[in-house]
Order: sequence, then C-alpha cells, then structure tokens
Amino acid sequence: MSTSTLPDESTLGVVLGRGRRRAEATRRVIREVAPRRASLGTGFIGVGAAVVVGLRAIYGFVWFLSQWNEYPDPLPALGAWVVLAGVLLATVITARVGGEQLPDWLFALFVGGLFTALVLDLWAIWPLHDIGRNATAAVTAGMALLVVVTLRRARDILIIDGVLGLTLAGAIVLNSSLAPEDLGPQITSLAFAVLPAAIGVVVVRGFRRLVQVELDRVLVQSTVQAPRFAVGMLASEELARLDLAAEELLEAIANGRTKLPLGPKTASSAASLATELRLHLIEGRRETWLYHAITESDFLGKSVTLVDKGSLAGLLDPQQRDGLLSTVWLLVSDTTKNHPTRTVQITVGPATGSVETPNGRRIDVPIVITTTGVPRNRVDPATWEAIRRVGQYADSTQNSSLRVDVHCLVANPADH
Amino acid sequence: MTSTMDLIAKERDRLLQRTARVYGLSFTVVSLLCLSIPGSIDGLAYALALPLYGLVGFAQARLGVSRSLVWVAVIVLGGLGIIALACLVGAGPGPSGVSGIAQLAAASIASVAIVLTTEVHRRVVLGVVFVLVAGTEVTLLAPHQSPLPTLALLVLGWTLSTVIGFWISAAVPQAARRIAQIGRAHRAERHASETEAQRRQGARLLHDTVLATLTLLAHSGVGVAPEALRQQAADDARLLRQLRLGATPTPQSSGEYNLETDDEAVLGTTLESVKQRFGRMGLEVSWHGTGQVLLPSHVLDAFLLALAECLENVRRHSGVTEAHVTITDDENTVRAMVTDAGVGFDIEDVDAARLGFKESVVGRLQEVGGKARLFSSKGSGTTVVLEVPR
Repeated sequence: MSTSTLPDESTLGVVLGRGRRRAEATRRVIREVAPRRASLGTGFIGVGAAVVVGLRAIYGFVWFLSQWNEYPDPLPALGAWVVLAGVLLATVITARVGGEQLPDWLFALFVGGLFTALVLDLWAIWPLHDIGRNATAAVTAGMALLVVVTLRRARDILIIDGVLGLTLAGAIVLNSSLAPEDLGPQITSLAFAVLPAAIGVVVVRGFRRLVQVELDRVLVQSTVQAPRFAVGMLASEELARLDLAAEELLEAIANGRTKLPLGPKTASSAASLATELRLHLIEGRRETWLYHAITESDFLGKSVTLVDKGSLAGLLDPQQRDGLLSTVWLLVSDTTKNHPTRTVQITVGPATGSVETPNGRRIDVPIVITTTGVPRNRVDPATWEAIRRVGQYADSTQNSSLRVDVHCLVANPADH
Repeated sequence: MTSTMDLIAKERDRLLQRTARVYGLSFTVVSLLCLSIPGSIDGLAYALALPLYGLVGFAQARLGVSRSLVWVAVIVLGGLGIIALACLVGAGPGPSGVSGIAQLAAASIASVAIVLTTEVHRRVVLGVVFVLVAGTEVTLLAPHQSPLPTLALLVLGWTLSTVIGFWISAAVPQAARRIAQIGRAHRAERHASETEAQRRQGARLLHDTVLATLTLLAHSGVGVAPEALRQQAADDARLLRQLRLGATPTPQSSGEYNLETDDEAVLGTTLESVKQRFGRMGLEVSWHGTGQVLLPSHVLDAFLLALAECLENVRRHSGVTEAHVTITDDENTVRAMVTDAGVGFDIEDVDAARLGFKESVVGRLQEVGGKARLFSSKGSGTTVVLEVPR
C-alpha cells in the first residue's frame, strides 16, 4: 500500500489561488445583496439639491422682476423662466415618482429645457450688452443641473455643465463689454452658473463614498458574531453547487447517459470536482471570522494582512472582535484616499500561557499590530478606546509607523 | 453600539468639511480673480489683500481635514480684512471690486456655515459670524452699492450653505439607518449560510463515498466493472439528492455507509458496507476480529473514512486484489490494522506524496483524538494501524 495523492488532484495550486478568488466572489455576492448601494440615501440628497436650486431660482426670479423695466422686451426672459420652472418641476416630480432614476431621453429633455431657457434669456438681454449684470434665468439654468446631480453619472453632469458654461462665456465675449469695470460682474455670473453643479458632483461623490465605506463596514461587522471557525459567506453556496454538479455527473452515469469508461474530459471534470469538494469539506472550516472579515471587505482587503497560524483570533469574544475590527478600520479607513500606502499587519499568537483572572483562567493571546504609513500622532483618538476593548496594550513606533502590542485574554476552549 | 454612532458622526463631519473646503476654495479663487482685474481696487489694498487671500485659502484647505473652529475664525477674519482693505484704502472698489467682495462675503466666507450646523454651540457661532460679516459688508459697501442687493445676495449665499450643511448632516444618519438594516439582513444571511454549510459538511460519510466514486471516475472508472460503478453512482446520486432536498440522508439497504446521526452507531454493519463497496471494485477485503463495536458517530465517521482511504490506496497502488483488516478493541481504543501483501514502498520516498495520507487519514483521526501509523518497505507489503478512542 502506499500513501497517495493523485497528480491530477494535486491541489496546491488551487489552494493558493482560492482565497482571493473566493473573496472576490463574496464581494460580488455582497454587491448583489445591495445592488444599488451607491444610491443609498442619495434620494434625500437629491431633494436637498432641489431645495437649494429652488431658493436660488426664487432669488433669480425676484431679481428678474425688479429689472423688468430695464428690458427692451421682457417677454423672452419671462419665457425663459417659464421653461425653466416647468423643466425643474417636471424633473423633480418624475425623479420622485420614477424611483430616483432618470432615463436618457428624460435627461436629454431636461438638458434641452435648460438650453432653451439659456437661449431665451440671452435673447432678451442681448440688446443690453451686459450679460453679467442682467442674466437671470441663464445663470439659474446652470445651477439647475444640481437637481439631477444624484440621478446621473458625474461625467454627464460635468459635460453638460461645461457646455453650458462655454455657451455663456461665448455669449459674453461676443456680446458684452470686457472692460475692467465690467469684467467682474461677467466672471461672477459665469461662476454662479457653473460652479454649483461642479461642487455638487464633488459632494455627491463624497457622500457615495461614505455610504460605500459604511456599508462595507457594516457587512463585515456581521463576522463579529460568527462561531470560532466559520465558513465564508459563499461557502454553503459553493458546496451546494459542487454537490449538485456531482449529483448530476453521478446521475448521468447511473442512467447510462454518460458511457463507461469515461472520456478524458469527463474524467478530468470528475477529478476537479473531487478536488474542490475535498477542499471545501476538509479546509472550509479552518478560517476565523477575522480572515473572513478582511477578505470580504473591499477596504480592509486592500491594505490589511493577517498572520494567524493557530487560528487564535477565533477565540476572541464579540466585544474583543468588535474592538479589533474598529481599530483596524480606524487605522485604514481614515485616509484611504490620501495615503494608499497605509498598510496594517495583524499577527495573532502564539499563545503564551494562561493567566488567573477573577473570571477564571484565561489564555494570553498576544496580538501585534504593525503598520506602515501611520504616524503615531496621526492616529484617531477613538482608536485607543477600540484597542482597549481588545485587551491591555502598549504602543510604540517601528519604522516611523505605529506598532501596538495587545495582550488579549481569552477563554480556554478546552475549559468548555 | 456607541462606536458605530461615533464612526458615523466622524464620517459625517468629514463629508461636511470636504464640502466646505471645495465650496470655499472655488469661490475664493473667483473672488481673487475679480479683485485682480486692473482698477477693481486700489493697488496698495490689493498688495495687502494678497497675503490675506493666501491665509484664507490655507485655512479653507485645513478646514477640509480639521474640525477646529480656529480655521473658521481665520477664514472669517481674513475675509473681513480683505473687504475692509478693498473698501477703505484708496478710492474704494470699482464695479469688478464690488463683484469680488460679493463673491467673498456671500460664498467664500459663507462656506463655513456648512461645518457650523452640527451642534448647538456651532449654530450659535454661525449666527454670530453671519451678523458680523453682513454688518461689515453692508456698512463698508454702502457708499458703492445700495444695501438691499448686497444684503439679498448675502442672505441667499448664507442660506444656501446653511441648508447644504443641515441637509448633509441629516442625510448621513438616514443613510446609516438604511445601511444598518442591510447589515442586520446580512448577519441573518451569514448565519443561514453558516448553518447550511454545517449541514452539508456534516454529511461527511455521504461526501466520502461520493468522493471515492468521483476519484474512481477521475481514472475513467478503469479497473471496476461498469455495472458496479453505475450502481455506485446511482446510490450516491440518490443520497446527494436527499441532501439537496433538505433531508439528512438515511441509510438504505443498498447504501454504502450507515448514515445515521445517532449518538452511537454500530461498527459492524457499516464495516460490512465498506467491504461490499470494495468488493464491487475488485478488492477482496477479509475481516478479522471484533464485529460489533459501538462508537460515537463522529468517531465512527472518522474511523471509517480513514479505513476506506487506506483500502482505496491498497486497491490502486499495491498491485494485489486482497487486503486484510483486523479490528481489535480494548476499553479505551478501537484499532484497525490494514495489511496487504503488495509491492510496498520505501517510506523515505513518499515525502512529496504525503499530503493525501496526512489530510485524509492522519488529519481525520487526529480530529477525533486518534492516530495512524504506517509501516512499509519495498517488496514486502504495507501495514497501516489506525486507532481511535472509544
């Protein structure tokens, strides 16, 4: 007899590649769980933008009325306001009713309305030769883009905003005096027309990022309650899929649809099925909540590495886990954008022995958190509080970046 | 969890600060442009205002990353300083100068309102700052522009930025609540996923017979009678279907293993099914020793799996068609000795191939407190001793 591993079932390659692949698949699943994660809460922001545009429109309209007598013919300008008001109302209502979405044709209609208002207003004030001081609906039209800032991609908004701005600027150059005493009001009008939508895009992007980070954190937070050894979010689905594939293959052989002896292709698919199944059965439960938390998270996955040879992280109680997760989160998420070089390495164990506490004997599991790109004085104060929930700690600086040594006391699983 | 609320408040503040920064800096630049137009303000005033613009811009950049009210103060005082310089030095501002001042007071300085909405004391600061800016600008600009339009634009600018601040502050907790709901659903889903995986992984005996069959198939089923293999495949497919339909598969008369989940299971009947299984595949297994041993079911699982794995190795690699299994037991241990008179191998040579043995035999037995020992040399067969505690 001999010990054997079939060469075609040699799984080392699969093992190496599996963690990453599974993590990515899990992230995909999580994205499907929250298919419109980016739109979460932006509806409210959209209403806020509409309120801001409304206030601006009232101001502009009052200004227009106060200028009424200056116009050679105020009717086109009035027409511009009517068109603008109609377009804004229609868009806000459609967006509310249509579930925070704006199809392409409606967006085209909206943009068409804005340009109509712009042109009508310019037409009315053209003879005055001072667009900067007299444009009202035209300036508001630029800001009106804010109404759709949450409904369309940033690129769409910025392109239309740019075109509107260029149109207005072109009209000013063609029509108005650019003498020093007139230039200021021209620049002011242009800025009031173009900047709000651009700023709106930045704000909405920031808000979406916030939602994404928060969602990622909350989803990963669910690992805090996981058992000592857990399967990832995808494990049962993968196992079910493999079981089904095996069932179908065996079924086909049993009823003679697949002929024996098997062709090389079917044989090799049986081999890979056996390999995957074996891996899931034997190895699936060796990972701790912390491993799953890190691999499942978009944000932690990029910058956190875990060394936990004894799978000791599984022994932490929910409060300690929450503390550890918050710590890592605060260290990493604080400046993901500005400092992509920030990394965190967590080394758990090996256990150093047991300690007598009022709550019984506890094992001392040392946890070492080393970082790169995290200066000691830039650490969020909340981080210390979070670490304290894990256990007694000592912080120091290693390679000009933070290092924390935590003594984490956990219950001995053998005592239960 | 308080820490969650803290984190959300932090995220909210960060968003407010960044909004204030981009808002403020944009209009500071526009305002500077207007004042840079020749003749818009006095030359000396412009020269003195430039460093103040630098200061305001710097403070606005800092505001993006800091909650400190110091930067708010610097922005407000620096802005008011520019307005005072523009209005009081020389002949005062021209039309472009007035535009620049309006941009500064109604938009650039007003950007601080965005970060002054979150707490009561900040709102008080907001009120004070607005009165200060409005009073200063209206008074100083009075000789150059009538107070009404100045004040109207100011009110608009400060209202807009205040609304933006309040709106973002309200939107973040709202989104956070929705996210928390999703988090709860996700936790339930993780729990369900865990339970389901446990159920499927718990059906280990079933999976092992499936794995053994799949391994045979991986070798195209060579060396096994097609009819026997088909029979085996049909049995396994049926068990898998039962598992899929939510049942824990129960033993059948033709089943390969005893899949009972009772606390204790009898070794004898299950050994018989192992024997049948290998008989079909062309390996004659002779049993010796104890027939009936009671073992906790998880120990029995591990024991049988290891045993089947050893027999499978005999079938594939020994070159003989007969194996002997001797089962003995005392009060502490149940022991199985698997022997064959096959080609054998040198234990030193199999290092690279050890993984399978370790994982499927040694690993499994260790999980239930057992162990395995392997004896072999070239040309004199192989013996494996498996031990599990009772």
